[in-house]
Amino acid sequence: MHIPDGILPISVNAGGYAATAAVTWYSIRKIKQKENPREGIPKASLLTAAFFVVSWIHIPVPPTSVHLVLNGLLGALLGYYAFPAILIGLFFQAVMFGHGGLTTLGINAVIMGLPAILAYYIFRLRKLGGKDSPKKDGAFGFLAGAVAIGVSVAIFVGILVTNLPTDFISAEVERAAIYTLAIAHLPLLGIEGTITSLLVVFLRRVRPGILDGV
Amino acid sequence: MNLGLDEYINLDSPFHRWEARYKLIGLITLIFAFSFVRDLRMLLAMVGVTVAIYVISRLPASFVLRRLRFPSFFLLALVLTLPFLSGQTVVLSIGPLDVHREGLLAVLLIAIRFISILTIALVLFATTPLLTTIKAMRALGLPGIMADMALLALRYIQEIGQDLKKMQTSMRLRGFRKRRLSLYGLRTLAWLGGSILVHSYERSEWVYKAMILRGYGHAPHPRAEFQSCHRDVVTLGIFLLIAAGFITGDILFGHGVSALLQ
Repeated sequence: MHIPDGILPISVNAGGYAATAAVTWYSIRKIKQKENPREGIPKASLLTAAFFVVSWIHIPVPPTSVHLVLNGLLGALLGYYAFPAILIGLFFQAVMFGHGGLTTLGINAVIMGLPAILAYYIFRLRKLGGKDSPKKDGAFGFLAGAVAIGVSVAIFVGILVTNLPTDFISAEVERAAIYTLAIAHLPLLGIEGTITSLLVVFLRRVRPGILDGV
Repeated sequence: MNLGLDEYINLDSPFHRWEARYKLIGLITLIFAFSFVRDLRMLLAMVGVTVAIYVISRLPASFVLRRLRFPSFFLLALVLTLPFLSGQTVVLSIGPLDVHREGLLAVLLIAIRFISILTIALVLFATTPLLTTIKAMRALGLPGIMADMALLALRYIQEIGQDLKKMQTSMRLRGFRKRRLSLYGLRTLAWLGGSILVHSYERSEWVYKAMILRGYGHAPHPRAEFQSCHRDVVTLGIFLLIAAGFITGDILFGHGVSALLQ
């Protein structure tokens, strides 16, 4: 779900960078409002590295396999550190693997990062009403994971289809292309939601402190 | 863990000698100028400039070809679909499918821009250690929090990657096979990911204490690490002119690839 270099017009790439700069500035401002902002940096950095590595785990979806994105979990665990973390992760992926690109780094950060912040707020809702339980954490984990990837897919498909340097044969073909791309990603919603839910329950059992955020 | 990105870091070329901050500004500007191009003649010039830069960098051809393999699947999907789904002018019919000229030209535009940008990015990051590039970004104004996070993440990706490999080997030795999608398989893989996250979280607590003991937060600004000379500034000027040439050329010619071949 990374848009490579060379596909989008420069205006969209520039818009992506502008949006990313604004969200990064806001995230850093929020981080600096913490009592000791430096304390969270090693945790956020190592979890960024860990998420980068965990995304190499492939899930079998016969006849192929998909790799995890986990931007929902990243948002749930890192809060406002999630956006800079995703930006750094995307930069490394572009430089080391050629996934995504340098001109599209901003737009890819918007695709992955904004839903991560949304997931952070969704996951925080679990603290409203009633007492904590693994089932409740798991359910909100599923919601955070599935919604984050769903919103990412929607932004990705929308940007890609509306900005290709050519027009489709007809409006029907364009609609069919959008639906095909969106439907192809549907299993990912279930898988990301389930994995996020299982991970949240695992972390709650093994190291509940992680769920309190960085 | 940078997939051999630093394999040719010790070669001697003008790009290896170019100071990291100036190289970053010059080549990133050129990359953005490339993404601006839509005219076929400018695409040809783009190929020429890209080949010239790559030859001057003295990086072997096999290096770029090897790295083009990774991201080419997405490109392949576009190449296989756009000529059939996009455009109005039929140039060829294959059974029930029509190949359209506009779709073919869009694929040409995307492919040339993609390969050129990827090649220039490779020259940028394979001729300077990634660590130095991040420090150069910091010196150019990247927020301290971002630079610290990037440097720490880069430092630990390799170790955490090795942890993952060991755990996957252990899982295979214990008989785990991920051949089909099942709740059991997903739970096992989630626990694998969870273990990686827990280990990293615990490691970060020791790292933070070690950083505080070493005076974290009181280090001098990294700008002092970089020293430029007259040649760096002149090279930057040349690259900014080339980038401006591409943008001006594309505006002056003012043709998209489709309009040019009509």
